[in-house]
Amino acid sequence: MLNKLRLRLRALFFKPKMEDELQAELEFHLEREIEENIIRGMTSEEARSAAIRSFGGVERVKEESRDVWGIRLVEELWQDLRYGMRMLLKHKGFTIVAVLSLALGIGANTALFSVVDAVLLRTLPVPEPERLALFEWQAGLPFRYSGSSGTSNTPDPPGTQGLSLFRYDVFEKMRKARAASPQSPLSDFFAFAPIYDVNAVVGDQAEIIKGQAVSGGYYAGLRVQPSLGRAITDEDDKPGVAPVAVLSHQYWQERFGADPAVIGQPLKLNKQSFTIIGVTPPAFTGTLQVGYHPAVTVPIACEPLLQGEQSSLGTANKPGHWWLDLMGRLKPGATYEQARESLNGAFQATALEVMPPPWKVDQPAQIDPKDYPRLVAQSGSRGMLDIRRAYTPTIYGLFIVVALVLLLACANVANLLLARAAMRGAEISVRLAVGAGRWRLIRQLLTESALLAVLGGAAGVLFAYWGKGALVALTEKDSGMLPSDVDLSLNWRALVFTLAVSLLTGVLFGLAPAWRATSQDLATALKQSRRTTGAVSQLSKGLIVAQVAISLLLLVGAGLFIRTIYNLQRVNLGFNQENLLLFRLQPQQGGYKDEQLLQFYQRLFDRLDNLPGVRAATFARIPLIAKNICCWSEPILLPDETEKTAPLHPTDRQTVRENYFATMEIPLLHGRGFMTQDYQIAPGVAVVNQALVRKYFPNDGALGQRVKIDGKREVEIVGVVADAKYKNQREELKPMLYTPWRQEVTMLGEMYFALRTVGEPPALASIVSQVVRELDSKLPVTEISTQTARSQATLGQESLYARLLSFFGGLALLLAAIGLSGVLAYSVAQRKNEIGIRMALGAQPADVLRLVIRQGMTLVLLGLAAGALGGYALLRVLASRYFASSSSQHNMAEQLYGVEGTDPVTFAVIASLLLLIALLACWLPARKAAQVDPLEALRQE
Amino acid sequence: MKRAGWGFNPATERAPFLLTFDNSSITLCLVDCRGDMKKTQTDLLQGTLDLLVLKTLQSGPTHGWDIAQRMQQVSRDVLRVGQGSLYPALHRLEAQGWIASEWGASENNRKAKYYKLTAAGRKQLEAETETWRLFTGAVELILKTS
Repeated sequence: MLNKLRLRLRALFFKPKMEDELQAELEFHLEREIEENIIRGMTSEEARSAAIRSFGGVERVKEESRDVWGIRLVEELWQDLRYGMRMLLKHKGFTIVAVLSLALGIGANTALFSVVDAVLLRTLPVPEPERLALFEWQAGLPFRYSGSSGTSNTPDPPGTQGLSLFRYDVFEKMRKARAASPQSPLSDFFAFAPIYDVNAVVGDQAEIIKGQAVSGGYYAGLRVQPSLGRAITDEDDKPGVAPVAVLSHQYWQERFGADPAVIGQPLKLNKQSFTIIGVTPPAFTGTLQVGYHPAVTVPIACEPLLQGEQSSLGTANKPGHWWLDLMGRLKPGATYEQARESLNGAFQATALEVMPPPWKVDQPAQIDPKDYPRLVAQSGSRGMLDIRRAYTPTIYGLFIVVALVLLLACANVANLLLARAAMRGAEISVRLAVGAGRWRLIRQLLTESALLAVLGGAAGVLFAYWGKGALVALTEKDSGMLPSDVDLSLNWRALVFTLAVSLLTGVLFGLAPAWRATSQDLATALKQSRRTTGAVSQLSKGLIVAQVAISLLLLVGAGLFIRTIYNLQRVNLGFNQENLLLFRLQPQQGGYKDEQLLQFYQRLFDRLDNLPGVRAATFARIPLIAKNICCWSEPILLPDETEKTAPLHPTDRQTVRENYFATMEIPLLHGRGFMTQDYQIAPGVAVVNQALVRKYFPNDGALGQRVKIDGKREVEIVGVVADAKYKNQREELKPMLYTPWRQEVTMLGEMYFALRTVGEPPALASIVSQVVRELDSKLPVTEISTQTARSQATLGQESLYARLLSFFGGLALLLAAIGLSGVLAYSVAQRKNEIGIRMALGAQPADVLRLVIRQGMTLVLLGLAAGALGGYALLRVLASRYFASSSSQHNMAEQLYGVEGTDPVTFAVIASLLLLIALLACWLPARKAAQVDPLEALRQE
Repeated sequence: MKRAGWGFNPATERAPFLLTFDNSSITLCLVDCRGDMKKTQTDLLQGTLDLLVLKTLQSGPTHGWDIAQRMQQVSRDVLRVGQGSLYPALHRLEAQGWIASEWGASENNRKAKYYKLTAAGRKQLEAETETWRLFTGAVELILKTS
C-alpha cells in the first residue's frame, strides 16, 4: 500500500496544492457540463444553474475526495491542538494556575522517582546483573559469632539470627569447594568488603578516602573491564605479593586529574606503599551499600597492611571478623537454589568449626542441627540491599505525600475545567445539534486537557531539574534521610515516567468534565437555561472536600514535627554545648601506634592547651551528639561474677582525657574525676554515670566497686558523673563507663577533639588545622564543626520532614483555596439570576454574603472532618508492621518526640488556620455576589 | 454492456439511471423523460462503479468528464454517472494504485486531469469482471427458475 502512504504524505505536506488540483478538476468538469447545456439549447445562466444543480454540491464532493486522502484523523487532531492552544491562551489566568499546580505535582513526582530509581531500582552497571547471586546466612540463636556488625538483607524468621557477612576462612573453604567441582552452578565466586577511612597521600596532600578490599575473582566475576590499566586478579590476592590498588574513575579524575600516567605509580595508603594498576570505568561504582563508592580497591591479602592490628583477617591471637560480602555469578540456566545448595555444605562445616564456645555454662556444647548456620542466596543484581530496605519506608512515605499533592493539583484543575465546561454548555450543545459526534467533542476536550497536562509535565521536568538542589538536601549525610553519593541525575526512565504521569493526569482530570459536558439534554441546554439552579456538581464539591482534608493532614504533620524539633532542642543534653569546637583525627591511619601515639597526643595537647582563645582542650573516643552512629559497647562483669555464670551487662564504653568532665561541664556527683597519674595505678580506674549506678548498683552505690572490663581487666570505680546524651537527643540514657585515655592505648587510633573556646569556635578552626599540620603534615584534620551545629544537624531528619510537610501543606492549602474560590465564583455566576430575585424580594447584601459563605464553609468543615478521620486512620497504618523497621531512624511515625500523633492542640491550631484562609477564599466571590445589581441580574437572559 | 443486470432493456423508452455513490449502497435515481424523479434503492456490489470506470479507461486514458460521457454513450444512455460519485471514485481508485493521473491539455487546450489504467489496474479489472460475471450469472439462474 505504498501508494496510500505516498498519498497521505503528499496530503500532509502539500495540501494546498492538492486542494487547487481538486478545484481545477471539478471546475473543468463543470465548464464542460455548461458547454453541453448551451449546445443543447439553454441560455448561459440556465446552463450554469443546471450544471451546478446536477453536480450535487461541490463541497460534498470535495469532502468525499478528501476522505480518500486518508489524513482526516491527523487533520482533526491538529485542529484540536490549535483550538486548544487558542482557548488556553484566551484564559491566561486559568492556564497559568493549572500549569503551575500540575508542574509542581509532576515535578515532585519525577524528582522522587529519580531517587527511587537510584536507590531501589537501578541494577549494577555490569553485563547480565540478573545472574549475580548474593549470599547471606541464617542460624538459630545459640550459634555465636563475634566480631561483626551489620544486619541481614532478608528479615529473619523468629528464633533465628542472620547476617550478610562472612569470615575469611569460611569464604576460602567455600571458594575451594566451588573451584573443585566443575558442575558447580556458579561460574564465579568472589568476596568484597569496605575498608572505612583510609589515609591516602597523593603528592603532599593527605586525605581520608573510602576503600574496599576484594578477592582476586571480583572484577572477573562481575565482568568489569577497567578503563585504564588492568584489574585485580587472583595473582594479586596472595600473601606476600607486591600490593596493588585499583582506583575508581571519580577518584582518578579528582585527585589525579585523569592522568593516564598513573598506572605503575605508587600510592601511599595508611603509610603503606601500593602500586596503582588500573582505573575502573565511569559507570561502575562498586557493589557495596548504595551510596558507598570506594575510591580505592585493594586485594584482600593486602588488608592487614592497611588495618594492622585491627585487621579483619585475624592474627595469631585474634580470630578474624565476619566482614566479607560474598557474591557469585550463575551459569546460564542455574538457579539461586542450586547455587545455595552447592555451597551450603562447605559453609556449614566451616562455620561450625569456627564457632566460639558457648558463652554460658548452662548452654549445651553441641547445638541442635536445626540451629546450624545455613546459606541463603538471593539476587545480587543491585548489590548490597540492607540499607535499601531500611530506606524503603521513608521513600514510600515521601512518595505518598508527593502523590497526594499531584492528586490535589489534578483535582483543582479538574474542578476548574468542570466549571469552564459547564459555562460552555451552550456552545457544546450547538455543536452537538449541528451534528458533531459525541466522541469527536470529547476528543477535542480531552486534547485540551492533554495539552495542559503536557505543558505541566514539561514545566515539571524543568522544576525537577532545578529542584535537584533540594534533593541534595535530602541526601545530606547528617540528615541521613537518604544515602549520600547517590546519582540523582534525571535519566530517560524518569522522563518516560513523567510523560506517563502527565498523560495519565491529563486523562484523569479531563475525562470527567468532558463526559459530563457532552452528556447534555440538547433541548434544555439550547434553551439557555441559566435560570435553573446553578448547581455545583457533586463531583466539584467532593473534590474541594478532599483538597481541604489533604491540606489538613499535611499541615498537621508539619505542625507535629515543628513541635518535635522544639522539644528536642530543649532536651537537657547533660553537658554544655556552647562554644565547643570539634574535630577528628585518625593518627592510626597515619601509622602511629602505642608509645608513638601517646607522645603525639601529648605534644598536640601541649600546643592546644596554650592556644590563645582556647579555654580547655580535651578529647574522647566517642563524640557527643556528633554522629548518629554509636559506639563502643562491651559487657562488663560485676564483682564476684565470672564469665561463664554472669548475665550480660551491656555497657557503653568511653575513654577520655583527664579534664574531660570539667571541659564538657558534666557535673561530678560522687567521688573524683581522673588524674594524670591514674594510668600508673593498678588496678586501673574508671568513672561511671548515674545510669550505670542505677542499673547495676542500685543499693550500694558504685564507689569503690571493682568491675571487670574487656573480659579480664579489673578497674575500680572512683567517681560518678551525671548522665549525658551521646548518640542523639532522643536516646535513653544507657550505662556508661569512662576510662582515662592512657589506660586504653589500643583504642586511641581515632579520637574526637573538643575545644572550649573563648569566642566563636569557627574562628579557631584554621589555627587548629595549622597546629596539627605543624606536628604532622600528613595527618588530615576531619569533621571540623561546632557542637551546636552538630546538635542541630542530628535534628536534620526531623527538620527536613518539617520543611517538606510545611512546603507541601502550604501548597495544598493554596491549591484548595484557589479551587474553593473558583468553584464559588462559578456558582455565583450561575446563580446571578437567583441572587437578583432574592435581592429584589428584600434580601440584604449581608444575607447574600452569608448565603455564599455558608455554601463554601460547609464544604470546608466537611473537609476538616474527613481530614481528621483520614489522619487517624493513617496513623494506624503508619504504626502497623509494614512501616516498623528494625532501625527506627527511618520510620516516620516514630519520629515524633514529646507529641502524640493525635495531639489535639496541633490539630486545633491548624484547623483554625485552615478555617481562616477558607473564610478569605469564600469571602472574595461572596463579596462579588453581594454587589450584584438586582436589576441587571434580572434583565440577563 | 451485454448483461445490464438491472432488468431494463435499453431499447425501451425507459429513462436512464443516474448512478450515484452513497457510502455503501448504490442509489439508483430513476429519472423519467418528464423530469420527475423516482428513487429506487438497490444494494449492489460496491465496486460496480469502480468496475465501470476501470473498464472505460481500458480503451484509453482520458479525463473525468470524458469518462462520464463514455459511460453514458456506451450504455446507450441508460447509465449516467453523477459527478458526486465519479470523482470520489476516481480518487479512490488512484489511491489504490489502479489508475494513475497526470495533468494534460484537453481538446480545447484547457488543463485537465487525465487518468489511465496501470498494470495493477488491468489485473484488477480482470478480476472484478470475473467476479461480476459469476454474480450476475448466478442471479440470472435464479431469476430464470420462476
